[in-house]
Amino acid sequence: MNKWLKHIGVAIALFFSVSVFAHATDKVGDTIEVNNGQIWAQLKAGEEGRTTSTSEFHAQAINTYDLRVLDLRSDILAPAMMAALFGMIIIFVLFIKVNGISKLHGGFSGKLVYRWSKFDVSIHWLGAIPCLLLILTGLTLLAGRFFFQPYIGEGFWAGLVNGAKQVHDIMAIPFMIGWALMSVLWAKNQMPKMYDLKWMMVVGGYINFGPFKGKHPDAGFANAGEKLWFWAFAVFGLVVSASGMLLLFPNLFEPSRTLSLIALVLHSVAAIIITAFSIVHIFMATVMSEGGMECMVSGYCDETWASQHHNLWFDEIKENGTLKYKE
Amino acid sequence: MATMKFLCDTKRCIECNGCVTACKNENDSALEWGIQRRRVVTINDGVKGEASISVACMHCDDAPCMAVCPANCFYKTEDGIVLHDKDTCIGCGYCLYACPFGAPQFPKQGAFGARGKMDKCTFCAGGPEENFSEAERQKYGANRIAEGKLPMCAELCATKSLLAGDAEIVSSIFRERVAYRGSKNAAWG
Repeated sequence: MNKWLKHIGVAIALFFSVSVFAHATDKVGDTIEVNNGQIWAQLKAGEEGRTTSTSEFHAQAINTYDLRVLDLRSDILAPAMMAALFGMIIIFVLFIKVNGISKLHGGFSGKLVYRWSKFDVSIHWLGAIPCLLLILTGLTLLAGRFFFQPYIGEGFWAGLVNGAKQVHDIMAIPFMIGWALMSVLWAKNQMPKMYDLKWMMVVGGYINFGPFKGKHPDAGFANAGEKLWFWAFAVFGLVVSASGMLLLFPNLFEPSRTLSLIALVLHSVAAIIITAFSIVHIFMATVMSEGGMECMVSGYCDETWASQHHNLWFDEIKENGTLKYKE
Repeated sequence: MATMKFLCDTKRCIECNGCVTACKNENDSALEWGIQRRRVVTINDGVKGEASISVACMHCDDAPCMAVCPANCFYKTEDGIVLHDKDTCIGCGYCLYACPFGAPQFPKQGAFGARGKMDKCTFCAGGPEENFSEAERQKYGANRIAEGKLPMCAELCATKSLLAGDAEIVSSIFRERVAYRGSKNAAWG
């Protein structure tokens, strides 16, 4: 009996020891086996390796990113940029043909009211002139190959797109200075007020037919439309400047390739919004609102213009004595 | 026509950098200081699972560089080789951002993104200039394709790890190797 138990005991012991060894060999086998799927997975995940090349990004064999970025630029952003510029111009020309402009009631008074300092006027143009050039050159860089290149010669295209790049790079600097100064110094007059809602409800009184005709909603130093433009410019100006800095000074910020592509998309989106607003802004100042352009030429506006378009501001400066006429 | 492709067999690549040297030598006339069109990347260096792979422009079918270039300076030859026109290139760097393989390189790294004209592997097929012209040699390097030859890097690969040629032939050579090796880890990927 004892003998039998001994035999069974030895058998059990042997069985366990064998299974332990079997496990051990299994483990060794797993690590020896080089898994090639793993190498591909590592490379696709952007694994960095050793290389003799000292060129940028060369330690990484494959950089993966969302390839929809490419279609986004060609199929959506490029046409959107064209629409933001030329589409808005067409819409505005048609609107003025149908609606007519906003005339001053009773014509120009001839008395000019102080509205902007010389410094304000100069920072406006410091931002505005580069902004116009950036829009035109940016349009060439984003949409030119789809909309211009097919209709012009190769040599002319090469010159055009190269010129666009150079002007775009240089104009970025004065634009950013102008943007920063305007955004910071003018913000206090651009705070939204309750009467801005009413202004929006009647589209600023610029519509000359139907229930909107002849309305003159209240407006302070800036009306609701100008405030909307100001804040859009401040916010998207920040986006366009920040993303532009990444693209302009890659050796300073050392963005990854994927970040650069994202910056490129954000840059285009912000630029499209600023462009559409700019067209509206330019039309309002030059054509739509009689007497509006004078503000950014001399810094003074006609008294009639002030009381018609910025009644609350005009009443306020009359009351607190800051009203100043041009000599 | 053919569809030209590179394939690097990681089971054979021994990180000798022969392809890099061959490329540099063959295209020397066009390469500015610091430009390296082909490189060998070794992952898991010195540990288990070490593998080397020779990387350059992969001459993609649907090339991201072509899609993203604002100057539209890229074009595809009838052999499916992606080339670019350095006279139209504006040096913006977008192709470098878009390329998954880091193939496009620039001779300069100045402020204002002044990078100079982009350079990349041409599959030893020169550029838009007239074949074998001095201008082609100076801007793009060798044009072995026009001579009926394959890229120097693959031709000089000692272990025949780096294959270049028509995609069908390249893949059938690789498939044959994998079948011959026979194990489940014979191929990579």
